[in-house]
Amino acid sequence: MKVLAGFDYRRGKTPIHKLDPRSKLVYLVLYSALTVYFKNPLILLLLFVSTIPIVSVGKIWGRWGISIKGSVFFISFIFIFNFIAQVLSGSTMADAVLSGISMSIRFVALISIFATFFLTTSPEELTQSMVQLKIPYDYALTFNMAMRFVPTLGKEAGHIMDAQKSRGLELEKGNLMTRIRNYIPVLIPLIISSFRRAELVADAMESRAFGASKKRTSLYVLTMGSNDYLFIAISALSFLLLLSLNLFAGIA
Amino acid sequence: MPIIEVQSLYYSYPGSKEPSLIDINFKANEGEFVVISGPSGCGKTTFCRALNGIIPVSYGGEFKGSVVVDGLETTKHQVYEIAQKVALVFQNPENQLFCTSVEREVAFGPENLALSREEIRCRVDEALEMVGISHLREKSPDELSGGEQQKVAIAALLTMRPKVLVLDEPTANLDPLSARSFLKLLARLNEEMGVTVLLVEHRLEMVSHLADRCVIFDGGKIVLDGPPREVLYSDTASRLGIGVPKAVLVAKRLKLQEITKAKPLTSWELADLVRGIKP
Repeated sequence: MKVLAGFDYRRGKTPIHKLDPRSKLVYLVLYSALTVYFKNPLILLLLFVSTIPIVSVGKIWGRWGISIKGSVFFISFIFIFNFIAQVLSGSTMADAVLSGISMSIRFVALISIFATFFLTTSPEELTQSMVQLKIPYDYALTFNMAMRFVPTLGKEAGHIMDAQKSRGLELEKGNLMTRIRNYIPVLIPLIISSFRRAELVADAMESRAFGASKKRTSLYVLTMGSNDYLFIAISALSFLLLLSLNLFAGIA
Repeated sequence: MPIIEVQSLYYSYPGSKEPSLIDINFKANEGEFVVISGPSGCGKTTFCRALNGIIPVSYGGEFKGSVVVDGLETTKHQVYEIAQKVALVFQNPENQLFCTSVEREVAFGPENLALSREEIRCRVDEALEMVGISHLREKSPDELSGGEQQKVAIAALLTMRPKVLVLDEPTANLDPLSARSFLKLLARLNEEMGVTVLLVEHRLEMVSHLADRCVIFDGGKIVLDGPPREVLYSDTASRLGIGVPKAVLVAKRLKLQEITKAKPLTSWELADLVRGIKP
C-alpha cells in the first residue's frame, strides 16, 4: 500500500506548507471536481501536470513519488476492468482503450492532488480549519484523533501478528479465503484492545477537563495571508478557464 | 484542613462480585509526597480513579463513603471541576496523549477551560519550561520516548494548575534511567511548587527516600500508612512481597538496629552507616 505514502505528513517550511488549509481545501475541491468531470485524456494529463509545481515548491518529491509509483499497480487493474466493461457494453476497441487510458490518468491525477494536500497540511492545522469552518469541535477532534492513532494501531497490529505467528499462526498460507480467515485471530484482539484503549483515552480526556465549557478557546487561530488569496485566485481562475473550454470549445 | 479526605470509601465495579475498595480512610495534607504501593490488583488504580471522580461518575458501580478534594465532594461535582484540583497521570503514556503535537497536547486542558489565548500561551510555555521539554514543542507524541511522553502528560496537566498530582505507576513502561529522571522531576515539582503528590509505584527503591509517607494497599484495604522508615521496616511489608528497597533488606539481615538506631532506606545511607560503625 505505497499509495498511502501520500498521507504521511512531515513538517516543512515551504510556502505551500504555510498556506492556510482552507485555501488548499478550495484547490482540492475545485481540482478534484475537474478531474472527475473531464474525460479528455489530454486535459486530465494537464491536470496531473498542474500538480507538479506544487510538489516542487512544497519539496515533497520523495513521498509524492512513492505514492504515484504505488498507484501504478492500481492503474493496471483500472485499465483492464474499464476496458472489459467498455467492450462488453458495445464500444469499439479504440474507444475502450481511450476510455481506459482516461480512467487511469484520472486516477493518478486524483492521487496527486490529494497527496499534495495531505503531504503539506498538518493534521492539527486541518483540525483547526475544520473548527473555523464551523464544524462542531467533537467531530474535528475525532478526525484529529483518528490521524493520531493510525500509527499506534499499526504498531499494535504488528505486535499481535508477531504474537500469533510465534504461536504457529500462518498468515501467508492457503488460498485467498483461508488467508482472509487467518487474519481473524489478529483482528479480534486488535478490535478488543482498541475498545479498551478508547476507554482509557476517554478517562484521560475527562481528566483534562474535556467538556468544561461550551465554547472552548483555541490556542491557534488560522488567518489568510496574501499568498492564500493568490493561491485561491489561481485555482479559481484556472478552474473557470477549463470549464469555459468545455462550454465554448466543447471539450469534455 | 487536609487537601484530600477519603472517608469509609467502598467501591465495586459494575458486574463484579468482589469489591475493589473496602473501608478506605485516607487523608493527605497540602504539599505532602505520598508513595502508594501494594501487590497487583490491590485497588491502587481504582483508588486513583476515585480521587478525581471518574469513579464513580464515568464507571458507575456501587460507591459508598465520600471523597473530598479541596472542599469539593467528588460525587456532587462534574469530573471537569475536580480535574482542575486533581491531575491524574496514567500508567500508559500512549493512551493519554491524543493530540498530534506536544504543544496542542499541553494546551488541550486550558483550551477546554475557555481561558483567554494569552493566558493559555503563558501557561503552556510555563509548563513546558518547568518540565524541561520546551525543545519538544513541535514534535508529535508518537515520535517521543516513553519518558518524554510521561513528561508531556505531566505538563499537559500542570497547565490546569492542579493542587494535587496523582500518578498511577507512571514509570511502569520506562527504563530505569528515564524513571529516575521522571521521579526527580516529581520531587522538584513537589518542593518548588508545593504540589501534593500521590505516587503509585512499585520501585520503592527509587522513591521511598523522596516520600513523606508510605501507604500500602492489600486486598482493597489500606494495611499500612506511615513514614517510609516505619512502614518499610515493618513485618507486614516484608510479608506482602512489595518492592522493599534492598538497603532495608540488608539492614534487617545485618540486624543493624541492634547496633545503631538508624533505619537506612537507600544504599548510600546504608553505606554511610556501615562505614561509621567502629569495630
